[in-house]
Amino acid sequence: MQRRVAQRYAAERRFKWLGFAAVALSIAFLAFLLITMVARGAGGLTSTFLTASDSTSAEMAGVYGALKGSFLTIIVTMALAFPVGVLSAVYLEEFARRNRFNDFIEVSINNLAAVPSIIFGLLGLAVFLNLMHLPRSAPLVGGLTLALMTMPVIVIAGRNAIKAVPPSIRDAALGVGASKMQVVFHHVLPLAIPGILTGTIIGMARALGETAPLLMIGMRAFIASPPSGVTDPATALPVQIFLWSDEVDRAFVEKTSAAIIVLLVFMLLMNGLAIYLRNRFERRW
Amino acid sequence: MTKEKQPITTNSTVPFPSTAVAADAARDDAGIAKEDTAWTQVPEPAAGSSPITTEVPAPEPQDTAEGAARAPKMTADKVSVFYGAKQALKDVSIQVHDDKVTAFIGPSGCGKSTFLRCLNRMNDTIVGARVSGDIKLEGEDIYSPRMDVVQLRARVGMVFQKPNPFPKSIYENVAYGPRIHGLAAGKADMDVIVEKSLKRAGLWDEVKDRLQESGTALSGGQQQRLCIARAIAVDPEVILMDEPCSALDPIATAKIEELIHELRGRYAIAIVTHNMQQAARVSQRTAFFHLGELIEYGKTKEIFTNPREQRTQDYITGRYG
Repeated sequence: MQRRVAQRYAAERRFKWLGFAAVALSIAFLAFLLITMVARGAGGLTSTFLTASDSTSAEMAGVYGALKGSFLTIIVTMALAFPVGVLSAVYLEEFARRNRFNDFIEVSINNLAAVPSIIFGLLGLAVFLNLMHLPRSAPLVGGLTLALMTMPVIVIAGRNAIKAVPPSIRDAALGVGASKMQVVFHHVLPLAIPGILTGTIIGMARALGETAPLLMIGMRAFIASPPSGVTDPATALPVQIFLWSDEVDRAFVEKTSAAIIVLLVFMLLMNGLAIYLRNRFERRW
Repeated sequence: MTKEKQPITTNSTVPFPSTAVAADAARDDAGIAKEDTAWTQVPEPAAGSSPITTEVPAPEPQDTAEGAARAPKMTADKVSVFYGAKQALKDVSIQVHDDKVTAFIGPSGCGKSTFLRCLNRMNDTIVGARVSGDIKLEGEDIYSPRMDVVQLRARVGMVFQKPNPFPKSIYENVAYGPRIHGLAAGKADMDVIVEKSLKRAGLWDEVKDRLQESGTALSGGQQQRLCIARAIAVDPEVILMDEPCSALDPIATAKIEELIHELRGRYAIAIVTHNMQQAARVSQRTAFFHLGELIEYGKTKEIFTNPREQRTQDYITGRYG
């Protein structure tokens, strides 16, 4: 008896250490990234760098244009992907009948979430540029393309969040004579919003760091002035990093690192905002 | 048939005016006295429970002229329910009366909850459920395409097994129904409805100082009474209760039972219960279900003292169930 108890405690300690080691490994990589980037790029974080746009000479090059491009792109993405994704999730979960067609839709959406981003880039190129003749290199097209990519993630997260709302709440609302619509919009959706926002955060972070589809729709051009709207030619932060890392001029190494720092901070801010929103909507039972 | 609701009579000791009824009651009592000998043979639930006979509220105005006096509030005729290919309910015919509590008893899985959920079409939400037969609310077929299910559920309210308040304030919980049905003209009107409903549910004194607190912060029994307040806030004609006390402790249960007594007369009440003593205490009509069939339906007194069917007898004496 005594021995067995001792064994169980030992197992518990071993497991704790294993878990800690796993966490430490991932933290170590993050720390390595941060430290090298700060060491290399901190010097590059000058006011010129933060306010100027791309330039052929390293000392004149800045990240502001790319930052603004990224911001506009993500706005377009979210404005499109969030409502469409949430409405799709609501429809599929609450209104759609269970039949083969909807099973097929479900499988397709799950597949869509796993499609490599370069393929979305090609799709954007074919549809938005070649077919619809939208402006090349614009945040509008970038945002549309990324929205296609983000939407399935939001749909999947939204469906799971809606499924997690206890049926007793639906019964309660139906029992006092709420219509299907009222049940969904007064009760189910408010309770599912924190879960939906979590999924949205994940989708947004992915979209923010995405490079490949933006390359396909022409956001890799050399653009020396910040975009003033969603139809102006622009570039995005990750694309800018990709472009600078390719430069032969050694001075751009520092610029690349500095841009990575800016991208990480930008992501942190966006995620922080999303988490703040999620916590605000969270309800306790 | 009077459309007006009767005043609540909380105590069952109110002397009944009509001599005809008094005579009837006396006859009933005599009948029970005769059967008192039978009680001695009945084991557990009955032992020492003369309460079963005394606690049944005496005034039952409609008992005099069976069926002739007043049409029942809801009638179910040959109702069958199928879940896919499985038949959960076979040809059930029951009346729910305006001024009486009707209890549905029976072992687990006997179809009593299924039947209850037919009465306000909550089974509509279950995929693959199919209802046949005839259910009428004041003569209107509730399964007819002309019946609006939302209106129906406002007229036939429901209280569930597990207390399920919305994760909103106490006030909002009660105000939700009246709001979606547009029953209150303004904030002041709504305040009145909320107060009245909470008072009728016997919860007002406990929560009047904290109406803005979350409904889920209340105790289980209070939550259940909040759910009852929420149901009566839309002023329904019938209240369905699906084992409303099964998740509650004895004291909270006693409060709910007391509440059912008080609500009787104002609303037609149908209650599903696992607890036979509870059926005996709160109801005037009892229906006994077994394996999807209605075995016996009649006055509670008779079901409990002199059941016609052997299966009923066996169940209420605790031989199975």
